[in-house]
Amino acid sequence: MRAGAIILGVVACTAAALPAGAHHAFATEFDVNRPVELKGKVTKIELINPHSWITVEVVGKDGKPETWMIEGGSPNALVRKGVTKASVPVGSELVIRGYGTRDGTNKAVGRDIMFADGRPLFFEGSKPAAAGAPAQ
Amino acid sequence: MRRLLTAALVLLAVPALADGVLDKLPRAADGHPDLSGVWQALNTAHWNLEPHVSAYPVVLDLGAQFAVPPGQGVVDGGKIPYLPAALAERDKRFANRLTDDPEGKCYLGGVPRSTYMPYPFQIVQGPRDVIITYQYATGFRRIFVGGKEEAPLDSWMGWSNAHWEGDTFVVVVTGLNGLTWLDRAGNYATANAKVTERYTPMGPNHLRYEATIEDATVYSRPWTIRMPLYRIVDDDYRMLEFKCEPYAEEKIYGHLRKPSSTEGASK
Amino acid sequence: MKRHAVALSVLAALAAFAAAPAALAQKASTQKPVAHKRTPWGEPDIAGVYAEFSIAPLERPVEFGEREYLTQDEYAQFEKQRLNAVNEDVETVPGTQADVHYDMGTFKLSQNEGVTSPNMRTSIVTVPKNGRIPALTPAAAARRDARAAARKGHEFDGPEQRSLTERCIVWPSTLPPILPGGYNSNLQIFQGPGQVVIQGEMGDARVIRTDGRKPAQVLPQWNGNSVAHWEGETLVVETSGFNPETAWRNASEKMKVTERITRVADKTLEYAFTVVDPDTWEQPWGGVYPLTEMDGLLFEYACTEGNYGMANILAGERKAEKDAAAKK
Repeated sequence: MRAGAIILGVVACTAAALPAGAHHAFATEFDVNRPVELKGKVTKIELINPHSWITVEVVGKDGKPETWMIEGGSPNALVRKGVTKASVPVGSELVIRGYGTRDGTNKAVGRDIMFADGRPLFFEGSKPAAAGAPAQ
Repeated sequence: MRRLLTAALVLLAVPALADGVLDKLPRAADGHPDLSGVWQALNTAHWNLEPHVSAYPVVLDLGAQFAVPPGQGVVDGGKIPYLPAALAERDKRFANRLTDDPEGKCYLGGVPRSTYMPYPFQIVQGPRDVIITYQYATGFRRIFVGGKEEAPLDSWMGWSNAHWEGDTFVVVVTGLNGLTWLDRAGNYATANAKVTERYTPMGPNHLRYEATIEDATVYSRPWTIRMPLYRIVDDDYRMLEFKCEPYAEEKIYGHLRKPSSTEGASK
Repeated sequence: MKRHAVALSVLAALAAFAAAPAALAQKASTQKPVAHKRTPWGEPDIAGVYAEFSIAPLERPVEFGEREYLTQDEYAQFEKQRLNAVNEDVETVPGTQADVHYDMGTFKLSQNEGVTSPNMRTSIVTVPKNGRIPALTPAAAARRDARAAARKGHEFDGPEQRSLTERCIVWPSTLPPILPGGYNSNLQIFQGPGQVVIQGEMGDARVIRTDGRKPAQVLPQWNGNSVAHWEGETLVVETSGFNPETAWRNASEKMKVTERITRVADKTLEYAFTVVDPDTWEQPWGGVYPLTEMDGLLFEYACTEGNYGMANILAGERKAEKDAAAKK
């Protein structure tokens, strides 16, 4: 698929209860009126604090490549469950549904992030996702 | 009675002369040297690891206070064995050091830079782990003694596995994220680096610190720095906070400040 | 003045006295202390990585009144409700503010990370008797209101107006007294002779002397100045001299915190605390909850280094101002 950001079907979304005070910070950073749906290949994965960031290259509306940075959560619990830097290899194809930053640039919070083949981002069942060939 | 017990325990743990000067090398229950204490390097390695004469401050208006003092260098053999392309990168970083040196942003110094930054650090040697906390930016390292696991993720202060070789504490550091510099002169390593530190007591109040840095993407061979570390012996010394995050805010975010607002922190 | 090592036999006798239970220890802990594992230099070993999550909430639900404990019958139901509430999968609706967040489940973030940590109390707070944090004094309320007033209309002018957590300076849940919070609600303790290291997962490591000696000068610190000593099986940590900007729960720089940490079982510590600040709360208050040892380690929380969010927040506001100006 080439043209524009891919419109995906409704992605099931669930969220564990959010920590108190999480909302206000995100409301000031991301824009509820700027929803995004993206499909792209990982060029960089920063499993860092205070928030992880995954950089993906997507095909923009004009057919040209665009770089997007997607925000996720702290990786500390993932580390305790065996996730390593190999868990989401560079080149993996991801689908992302989220909301863009208020400043209009190519950054978004990833409300739902998963591999393009439907595998969850870090875990299949209770084990860390197998590192290896990215989903095609 | 409790005070007497406390004093007795302190006596057994830390034999001392006057102030904080120790007359005997303390040893842990397992017989190894006890490296616990507050230490600091006393050299200009934080300015430049390589031999250097004095130099102008990076901002001329700052004058002599912030000029670069001279140093004989701490690198075995004098110069860092950069590959040609890496040397060019080092020189580029030097040219851009005012904006690009992570230290200016209060970013953690990594290893080995944190050891010889001009601030104290504290070692707490426990029975299973050795903890090092650094005054600068509240840096923290948990060193796994006998550890064999690999770093799950890269970090600023790296992943440290250690073992003893006689009286030398050998720490192998991997999982460094390559985002720190090695000094204020643009010297650097990448995330491919492996750093092997050696802490060897030279008497009860000095350590010999060596760090060998390997990174085949940057250097033609491993290279080693060496320097003494000095025990802080001030009476009743306490390592106060140097939480520099607020001091770096103007540098990092100043360009995003509301134009009409007062510049800089009002504190 | 030369000091000499004390003969081991004398030391052993003194150590036996210190370990003597009854009167001394019962004041320090609310549970009957047991002699647990020791460090090689003879102190109780409290080192480990611990989950703070407590089945008991911070403040007591009002219906419990002055009841400090649940009955066995009540507990099962209470625990189930609490764990469900904490781990509830909340479906958020696309296009609503609640949906503007990463999925906590994807990152396995939760208040308890699978730790159950039984606690039969009705709340963490036990003083005052109603299990609820006392009201703020008028002075404290005035300080709080003055801060809010000064900030009003300037919330996005620059980094200084943002919260201490957004600025990566301190995280309230890691300051003394350490209380369970949202995700990453864990702490670690290390010990060396004469020192203890206590670190909340998202905060600074506090390296604390255990000789009870107070500093000659107390300089204000973000994390306060801590001094500790052992009372039998309990480590007593006293912290004072806070930076006035820390303002933990609107506290003043005069806040004094006492933490009492006691190993009560192989994998469990008891963490008790009192908070005294007459400039802020009408009376001293405090509480107790268990720390449960957990598998896994606390990964580096290098906050300012990864703080893209601050730049995004300020940039967003600058663009909104520009857009508003362009419309005029």
